[in-house]
Amino acid sequence: MMGKWRSSAAYRIAFAYAAAFAAGTALLGIIVYWSMHVAFTHQLDAMITDEAQTLVSEYKSDGGDGELADAIAQREGSRTPERLLYAVFAPDGRRVMGSLRTDRPALGIHDLSFIDPVEGIDSARGQAIDLSPQRRLLVAADREWIERSDQTVITVFAFGFLGVCALGVAGALALGAYLRRRLRALSDGAGAIMGGDIRRRMPVGPLHDEFDQLAVALNRMLERIEGLLDNLRQVTAGVAHELRTPLSRLRNHLERGASDIGPTDPAAPIIEDSLRRVDDILALFAAILRIAEIESGETRRLFERVDLSLLATELAETYAPVARDGGRNLLWSVEPGVTVLGDRELLAQACINLLENAQSHTPSGTLIRLTLIASGGYACLQVTDNGPGIAKADRGRAIQRFIRLDQGRTTNGHGLGLSLVSVVAGQHGGQLLLRDSGPGLAATIQLPLFPIVPQISPEPSNGD
Amino acid sequence: MKILLLEDDDEMRAHVERLLRAAGHVVDHCATGRDAIFLATSSDYAVLILDRIVPDLDGLGALKAIRAAGVQTPALFLTALHSIGDRVEGLEAGGDDYLVKPFAGSELLARVAALGRRPPITETITRIKVGDLEIDLLKRTAARGGKIIDLQQQEYKLLEYLMRHAGEIVTRTMLLENVWSFHFDPGTNLIESHISRLRAKIDRGFERELIQTVRGAGYRVRDDG
Repeated sequence: MMGKWRSSAAYRIAFAYAAAFAAGTALLGIIVYWSMHVAFTHQLDAMITDEAQTLVSEYKSDGGDGELADAIAQREGSRTPERLLYAVFAPDGRRVMGSLRTDRPALGIHDLSFIDPVEGIDSARGQAIDLSPQRRLLVAADREWIERSDQTVITVFAFGFLGVCALGVAGALALGAYLRRRLRALSDGAGAIMGGDIRRRMPVGPLHDEFDQLAVALNRMLERIEGLLDNLRQVTAGVAHELRTPLSRLRNHLERGASDIGPTDPAAPIIEDSLRRVDDILALFAAILRIAEIESGETRRLFERVDLSLLATELAETYAPVARDGGRNLLWSVEPGVTVLGDRELLAQACINLLENAQSHTPSGTLIRLTLIASGGYACLQVTDNGPGIAKADRGRAIQRFIRLDQGRTTNGHGLGLSLVSVVAGQHGGQLLLRDSGPGLAATIQLPLFPIVPQISPEPSNGD
Repeated sequence: MKILLLEDDDEMRAHVERLLRAAGHVVDHCATGRDAIFLATSSDYAVLILDRIVPDLDGLGALKAIRAAGVQTPALFLTALHSIGDRVEGLEAGGDDYLVKPFAGSELLARVAALGRRPPITETITRIKVGDLEIDLLKRTAARGGKIIDLQQQEYKLLEYLMRHAGEIVTRTMLLENVWSFHFDPGTNLIESHISRLRAKIDRGFERELIQTVRGAGYRVRDDG
């Protein structure tokens, strides 16, 4: 789970964004807390300074402790919550007026602690002013006010922060899942296209958002690639096709020449050899055109149910004498009832090519095996030999066109045998797999099964 | 045999005509589909050889019209259209054989001969006898000189095809197409292997070889004597 999240850019981005948003909220909380704290402190300071000034001017104008004591008693007697605290000290530190129980403070504004009759030791903010050398006035305000507002700010922002975090996590999960889903649609499409379904396109949603624009751009790119591929195919097939006509004429001339001079003429072997060479070229073109035809998907419309078991048995029986004449042995084991959707002849040609490959690239005495099994929804038609095999590095190349791995030897064929098998398998929705069979090569045509749908027939039930 | 050739390319037409005449056939030729329909429906031919890509009406359309007029003359498409779909189309239009250009002269002659001598469809034949070799089409067995020959399924099919065309040349491609239903070149000496196996069973121990090799063309089961 963690691995999935860490390996996902979508989740990483979503969570980072949520975390940044939460951090921003926390910072805002701290700034609000501090500015409110400072503002309240200033307000408190202004209040006690004002009150102290008022009392000073009252003391100065009416003169005397009596008036002051009355004024203080009157203020202390009020039950309003905003009431302030008062004390007047003599120079020896004795409190002579007011009920604020604290020590004689220094002049100016500062924090101090006092003994609250109800709450015990408490803290306050006070302003000390000398009324006369004998009297020092202290006006203070309980800090509880500030503390209460601080508490409120902290509480509000704590809940706010938790809410933002919860929303952020939920949003990150949703956003991450959404991004992954959109991206997965694109990567699934790309995977299918790489898997051979070249006609497939990226899904384009109705929103026309960035993802859709990307999908459209990718589709345009695929269109172009497919066009180029088609072009290449057409050019190849076109060249092969166009050259067939002059070659046909050449062949006709040679044939006429051969019949005109008769088989006893000294030039007859040369003409015969030339005819063979022309036929080789024509066979190569036929193979190119055949592959182009299969690749174009044209043959798919002729697909029908093919009993692969029957075909494999027939082919093995057909090929066994050829193998024996060539000094190899062919054994086969075929699972009955394996059916696929396809073209019987193309599948036959593919299988013959594999057998031919096993025959022509192995030493005399090689054992060739043809097996057909159905497993995991696939029909596996496998040709294995115990010959020298193909080196792992060369296996990918073996399927490429015009590649002959044993270049030193002059073997027949045009290097198109395995390409054709691969193309046939691809057009049938399958693939050609080349593996080591230790020793030797195991070539497998893997095709999706096309099972016979069992007829629903009234079966005798147990109750009867 | 009297043969109708539909071909618009002069060089190809001359080549095919020369081949057929050298083999003793009589050839009428035309270059358009309409002419082909007119000739095929107004005169009696043994075989029609039709190119597919010709002016006005193509060979496919011409044959459809000829068949629609009730003419059942065996028809061979001789064309450069080589794909699997093209062949299927040709046979569906009423063609009896399909040969892709370029072709070997011997191949064309063998196919024309096979088509021209195609007997009227009588499924009452149950036995074919050539010399002292006899096959039973129902039991799918063969015997030579009264001695039963043990044949595998494919050997029997090969022998039956050769016997049905006794006296005619049968090419490798004809065997691939008709015995194995392969319309591609398997690129091996598949036919040679099977023929030599069949020969070993049919001809070994007998003075007269029944299966002959015709050099550069194919095989023939002799029906002389």
